[in-house]
Amino acid sequence: MLFFSFFKTLVDQEVVVELKNDIEIKGTLQSVDQFLNLKLDNISCDDETKYPHLSTVRNIFIRGSTVRYVYLNKNMVDTNLLQDATRREAMSEKK
Amino acid sequence: MSEITPVNPKPFLRSLVNERVVVKLKFNDTTYRGTLLSTDNYFNLQLADAEEIIGSTNRGTVGEIFIRCNNVLWIGTDQDQPSPKTA
Amino acid sequence: MSETPLNLLKLNLDERVYVKLRGARSMAGTLQAFDSHCNIVLSDAVETRYELVDGELRSTERPSEMVFVRGDSVTLVTTPEDE
Repeated sequence: MLFFSFFKTLVDQEVVVELKNDIEIKGTLQSVDQFLNLKLDNISCDDETKYPHLSTVRNIFIRGSTVRYVYLNKNMVDTNLLQDATRREAMSEKK
Repeated sequence: MSEITPVNPKPFLRSLVNERVVVKLKFNDTTYRGTLLSTDNYFNLQLADAEEIIGSTNRGTVGEIFIRCNNVLWIGTDQDQPSPKTA
Repeated sequence: MSETPLNLLKLNLDERVYVKLRGARSMAGTLQAFDSHCNIVLSDAVETRYELVDGELRSTERPSEMVFVRGDSVTLVTTPEDE
């Protein structure tokens, strides 16, 4: 649940998602679920010529399993809080 | 009339802890040799003093590593002595 | 007090790590977060992609200040060799 909570804190921020098929999509994170499926609003592609099928779309749903990376900005993340949450999550899983 | 004693995966893997092991990955013909430090319920692996062998070339020591379970093809005891380093 | 492989990751929180990924990629960065699926967040990360161009191995690097890596791409995690 750690990353579900993490992505919930990123809602309304602009992120760049790189998919496993090398497509890169920039957009505003609209929502996220427990599978880390993502909804992006107002999307744009850096390389529109390569992916013309995405140029008419503004709002997309991305299946979580197709994501490779999500690029973020430093100022979106409280690293101390994130590290503490990670330690707490690791503790709770170890029984 | 020989009795077969079944060996289950989990006890087998636990018996390999602190032994020299060989781990073959599913991808890229990659093998790791090292000392098995620990495993968990997913059969994720932690190796110490590991060396990486891709194809037949030794790519040198990588130290302490974590191997994600899904990439493992098989794991067994290392019969040979740790092979001489070919840097 | 059970030692598990994920403990290696826990001990390396806030430290530099080297992550090997599927598809001839690797990533080095400061470990900020992980979970049991090996989903990972790295800061000040550099991704290296390897490709064969006319039989020659070429690598391209791409820096990023903060990146989330989905766990299913991860094959291996270790500490960087240059220390």
